Amino acid sequence: MLEPLFFNLFGGLAILAATLVVVSRNPMHSVMWLIFCFFNSAGLFFLLGAEFIGIITILVYVGAVMVLFVFVIILLDVNIARMRAGFVKSLPIGGLMALMLFIEMAAAGVSGVFSSATMGQAVQFGQEVNNTAEIGKELYTRYLLGFELAAVILLAALVGAVVLTLRSRKDANYQDIAAQVAVKKRDRLRKVRM
Amino acid sequence: MSKIQFPFPFPEHLSIMVPEIFVAAMAMAVLLWSLFLPKEKHTITAWMGIATCAATIPLLLSQAGSIGLMTFYGFFILDPFAVFAKLLLVVATLVAMVLSIDYMRGEKHMPEYYAMMLFTLLGVMFMASATNFVMMYLGIELMALAVYVLVAYQREMLRSLEAALKYFILGSLSSGMMLYGMTFIYGITGQFDFEAIGIALQGVGEDGRFAMQLGMLFIIAGLAFKLSVAPFHMWTPDAYEGAPTPVTAFMSVVPKVAGFVLFIRFLVEALPVLQHDYVQVLTVLALLTMAVGNIAAIAQRNIKRMLAYSTIGHVGFVLLGLIAANADGYAGILTYMTIYLFMTMGAFAIIILMRRDGLEGELIEEYAGMSKVRPGYAFAMAVMMFSLAGIPFLGGFWAKYAVFIAAVESGHVVLALTALLFSAIGAFYYLRVVKYIYFDEAKHDFAFRSNSAVQVVVTVSTIMIIALGLFPGPLMEICHQALIGLV
Repeated sequence: MLEPLFFNLFGGLAILAATLVVVSRNPMHSVMWLIFCFFNSAGLFFLLGAEFIGIITILVYVGAVMVLFVFVIILLDVNIARMRAGFVKSLPIGGLMALMLFIEMAAAGVSGVFSSATMGQAVQFGQEVNNTAEIGKELYTRYLLGFELAAVILLAALVGAVVLTLRSRKDANYQDIAAQVAVKKRDRLRKVRM
Repeated sequence: MSKIQFPFPFPEHLSIMVPEIFVAAMAMAVLLWSLFLPKEKHTITAWMGIATCAATIPLLLSQAGSIGLMTFYGFFILDPFAVFAKLLLVVATLVAMVLSIDYMRGEKHMPEYYAMMLFTLLGVMFMASATNFVMMYLGIELMALAVYVLVAYQREMLRSLEAALKYFILGSLSSGMMLYGMTFIYGITGQFDFEAIGIALQGVGEDGRFAMQLGMLFIIAGLAFKLSVAPFHMWTPDAYEGAPTPVTAFMSVVPKVAGFVLFIRFLVEALPVLQHDYVQVLTVLALLTMAVGNIAAIAQRNIKRMLAYSTIGHVGFVLLGLIAANADGYAGILTYMTIYLFMTMGAFAIIILMRRDGLEGELIEEYAGMSKVRPGYAFAMAVMMFSLAGIPFLGGFWAKYAVFIAAVESGHVVLALTALLFSAIGAFYYLRVVKYIYFDEAKHDFAFRSNSAVQVVVTVSTIMIIALGLFPGPLMEICHQALIGLV
């Protein structure tokens, strides 16, 4: 009963947010709208009964990818005015792409091949089947070895990233306790004839 | 919550993958233990790495008799083929670590260097035992990620960073291509296990044939990149030149061996239906690769770049074994890889000994007159070069002989003759090095480092190449034995 209502709510807000991502002048606002958009699309997944994908959308896209975006925008210090300057120049090719994409999607929508009658018929399992539990069971039994190896890959990537980027700054002052303890009086004091 | 039941005796079955578990545990132990070591003592981690490799060899030998054991729902296979490949990989890693001890001394983050080598070893060992797309992809990624880091290790040097970046970007691209190919095969068959794919593909009619070929093409392209097969070889010379020399030696053997092993298993188990198609594709690739490798090497003045093209050329010859597509061909590949390991490691060991002022003896002219100063090294280098060129009766001759004969016997006579021609062209640039060493006057002072570990590598490689050249029979026999249960 309430399902169409919530579908329209989530879907409408997602479209609104996606539009605002594009039209916002401030890139930080765009990122915020994109996060909002992801939350709403996660809501759509929940409506479909795919709660695992919904949670993963929030965890991965909002929790990791968007935080990365925020950092990139902070670090890059994007200059909007300069980016907008090339708008007219790249309009033909960009507009052409947008137009082709639009025609493509419109054609696909009208053709009826992708109608909801033939597609999107999610098999409804009974109450006893739980998405997350089933995925967990598969992941930790059948795919256990791959799962473990993926963990090793993450470890190697982590260590590698630190090795390649960690550098001790030459202008920073570090405390060398061993040197402090080992220091002698004659290292520090100097007799000066007045 | 119900208790999970494995369809195999769970802790007992882990014995099948004891070497892998050991290597993984030691890689993490190296990482952790180095935190408690003072900086001066970081070299200990090198010896830990070497000890790990040395201890893995008996573990692997104890598994030598097992045929077709599977565990973890068939994700991991243990057969003589995998064991032999892993032995080669472990020995190559061991040698590369020995070459690194002196070279990497004083580098920052030394312990992580050896941990990364062990992670690479782990990745390639899983590649050797992979039976499906999941393990194939994960093994390749673990290997590739660790090698990217190793290539960039001297990050103060611009060329090292450049090499790593090129390698990384092209490597990611090739992984993407491979995954794309896998989706085609999976889409047709609904299977990702090699053997199941092989069975399912038999039932695919003409409708699915094009998608099948497309998937095969993309997977072959992805693997070809890892093996630096032309036209996917562009990254190789830069990566070889920019990487620290021990890493160059490492990456010219280990990923190649693992790549070919995986290639063989994939073609034999998953694509017997498409044999006619993949032989055609591989023939084109082999011709291109042999041409690029052997002709472009002539123009190189830097010996590391020259050896990079030499690797490409050798990969082209090894492809003949895949084209032969029979037991002789695959045994020939294993023979080739074994001998190639010693030739390459020996040659790079001498390059490392020539290191001078941070930049090692990298120009070929710098080897001029070496025979008068150090006749021993000169002899060793000459043996390596003759062997790489395939002069009888050194190891390299039998390596080429094994794959060429296999190609001829399976009916690819023209291809084998072309390969022979390219081999003759290739001999030119190997012999040029020998000419510099023996017949030219010295232009530079030689400042050889006294480094007993590297000297041992040079000596052992030289002895192995001469010994394998005189008595190739046992090795070829072992390589044939290793294929039991596969072909």
